[in-house]
Amino acid sequence: MFLKTAAVALTALMAISLTAKAETIPVLVPITGFLSLEGTSQRNGAVLAIERYGKDLDLEPEVTDTGTSPEGAVTALRRALEGEPSAAVASMLGTQMLAMLPIAGRAGVPLLTVSGTAKITEIGIPWVFRFFPGDSVVKVAQARYAIEELGAKRPALLHQTTAYGQSGAEHLRRIMNDLGAPLVFEEAIDVSVKDMLPALTRMQEAKPDLILLHLHSGSTALVIRQARDHNIALPILAGSAMHQPTTAALLDPKQLAGVCAESASSPISEPEGPVEDFTSEYRARFGTEPDAFSLAQYDGAAMMIAARNSGARTAEEVRDWLASNSYDGLAMTYKSDGEGNMAHDAVIVCYDGKSAVPAIKRRYENVSGVK
Amino acid sequence: MSTIALTQILLNGLALGAAYALIALGFVIVLNAVGAVNFAQGELVMAGGFAAIALAPLIGEATALPGLLLLPLVMGLMGLVGAGFAWIAYFPVRKRHQVAVFVSTIAAGLVLQHLANALFGAAPRAGPPLIAGAPMTIGSLSISLQQLAVMACAAALISGTGLFLGRTQTGRHMRAVAQDSEMAAAIGIHPKRMITLSFALAIALAGAAGLLLSNQFFVSPNDGGLFMLKAYIAVTIGGWGRLDGAVIGAMLIGIFETLVAALTSYLVAEALLYALLLVMLVFRPSGLLPERARARV
Repeated sequence: MFLKTAAVALTALMAISLTAKAETIPVLVPITGFLSLEGTSQRNGAVLAIERYGKDLDLEPEVTDTGTSPEGAVTALRRALEGEPSAAVASMLGTQMLAMLPIAGRAGVPLLTVSGTAKITEIGIPWVFRFFPGDSVVKVAQARYAIEELGAKRPALLHQTTAYGQSGAEHLRRIMNDLGAPLVFEEAIDVSVKDMLPALTRMQEAKPDLILLHLHSGSTALVIRQARDHNIALPILAGSAMHQPTTAALLDPKQLAGVCAESASSPISEPEGPVEDFTSEYRARFGTEPDAFSLAQYDGAAMMIAARNSGARTAEEVRDWLASNSYDGLAMTYKSDGEGNMAHDAVIVCYDGKSAVPAIKRRYENVSGVK
Repeated sequence: MSTIALTQILLNGLALGAAYALIALGFVIVLNAVGAVNFAQGELVMAGGFAAIALAPLIGEATALPGLLLLPLVMGLMGLVGAGFAWIAYFPVRKRHQVAVFVSTIAAGLVLQHLANALFGAAPRAGPPLIAGAPMTIGSLSISLQQLAVMACAAALISGTGLFLGRTQTGRHMRAVAQDSEMAAAIGIHPKRMITLSFALAIALAGAAGLLLSNQFFVSPNDGGLFMLKAYIAVTIGGWGRLDGAVIGAMLIGIFETLVAALTSYLVAEALLYALLLVMLVFRPSGLLPERARARV
C-alpha cells in the first residue's frame, strides 16, 4: 500500500515538474571577438524581452557565445537544436548567419536576427526573420540624407572588409550612383587596422565633400578621431555603429561635431514614451545604455512571444505567424516582405559637438514599401 | 602624394613603429632568457592598456600630463604581473617539452583576454592621453602631440633597456643566465631570479606599449593577437635574438605599413608585409642583421 502511494505521488511530482519545465529560447550571439560590442547589445535586448514577456509561457533565455567564426555559430546552433526550440535568436554577424541558415532550414526552426547583411534573406531559406533594417533600407536613408540634407556631390566611402562591410558598400555605391553623386574614393579596411591616416590621406587627395562610413564600432571611432586629430573637418555620415553610446564614448563630444549616422532607432535619443521606459529598464538591468541593435532584438523576441501568445506552439507555427502578421514594436512596425525582412524604417541621428547623445534628425518610413 | 602628406605618413609610421619596438623588445628579452616564445606578449600589451585605464583615476584629470605620469605606475604593475607570469606560466612547465611552454603562454594569454573581457567589457576603450594639448601645426603639417610623446617615451625606454642590460650588474647577470644558466649559477648568480626579472622587464615594456597605444588606437580584449603578430614579424625581420634587430624590424614594419597603405591600400600593404616575411624566411631566415652565435639578451 505504501509503495503504491509512493509511486502515485512520485508520478504526480514528475508530471508537475515536466509541465512546469520552462522552454529554453537559445540566444546564439557573438559576445567575444570583434563584434562583441554589438553582440552584447543583441543578447541584452533578447534577454530583456524574454524575461519581460515570456514569463507566462515559461520561456527562459539561454545565451551561448558564438565568437566570430562560422564554426562557432554552427556548433552553438547544433547544440541548441537538441532542445527542439520553437525559435532561436541568432547571430548578427552575416558570415555566421549564412552558415547557420541551412542547418536551421533543415531542422525547421525560425532564426530571429538583427544582422544587416543583405544576403541572409536573399538565399531563399524561409526560416530567417531580420528585425533590423537591411542594407537595402538603411543605405537608402544614408545615401538620401547625404545628398538631400548634406548636399554631397563628391562623397568618399570607407568600409569594412567583412561581409557586412562589402554588402553595405555595394548598396551605397549603387544608390549614390543612381542619385547622381558617385563615390570619388573608396577604401576597404580590415577590422584589425588601427592606423587610419593612410586611408584618410589618400582620401583627401580625391577632394571629397563628405565622408561616408560603413564600419564596425571601433573602426568608426578610429576614423573619426584620427580625422579630427589631423584637422580633417569634412562632414561624416556613418553607419549604424556610430549611433551606439559605446562608440560615442570613445570620442570627445567636440570630435563628434559634424558627425551623423544611420540607424534603425536611437533609444537614448527619445526622452519620453515607451522607448524611454525600455531605456530605463535596460539601464537598470545591464548598467549600460541601449542601442538600436538591442531595441530591434527586443522587438524581435517580443514578436516571437506574441506569436506564441496567439497560439503558435511549434517552430513551424511560429514561423508561419511571423511570416504573415505585423507587429507594433517599440522602434517601428514589423512585417515580413515575404523574404523575412521585417524592418522597413530608418532614422538619421546627428551629434551637435556638445553631447554624446545624438538627436534624431530625420525618419525614413517604409523605405521598402512593405506595410 | 604631396611632401606634406608623405611627411605626415612617415611620422605616423615612426610612432607606430616605436610602439611595436617596445613589444618586440620584450618578446626578444623573454626569448633570449628562456629560449621560448611568449605567445601571451600581445595580450600583455592589451593588459597594459587596461591597467592604464584602471589607474587613470589615481592621477585625475587636473594634471596636464596624465598618461606620462601613469607610465611608471603601469610599468611597475606590469612588472609584477611579469614576475607572476614567470612563476605561473613558465617555471612549472620549463622542464617538460618546449611545446609545453608555448602552450602554457598561449593559455595564459587567453586567460588574460577573458579576464579583461569580464572586468572591462567587450567594448573598445580609450586610454588616457600621454600629454594634453591640441595638434601642433607647422605650415600644412599637423603633428599630434600624442604621436610625439609616443616616440619620445619609446625612445627613452628602448635606450634605458639597452643601458640596463649592457651597463648594470643586474643586466650583466641576466645576460649571463641567458647565455648559460648552469655556468652562471656556478659563479653565484641566481638563474631563477634573473629569469623572473627578464619576464618582469619584458612585460613591463609590453605594458608601456599598451599605455602608449591605448589613447590613439583604443584598447579592447581582442587586440592581443594583432600585437603578437607584429612583434613576431619584427623579430623575424630584425633577426631572432637581437635586441637592436627587434627595434629595427619594428620600425621598418611601422613605416612600411603606413607608407604602402597610403600609396596603395591596406589590402596591398598587408599582403606585401606577409610576402616580405615569406621572402625573409626563405632567403634570410636569420633576419636583416648578421646573426650572432648564441647571442642572448
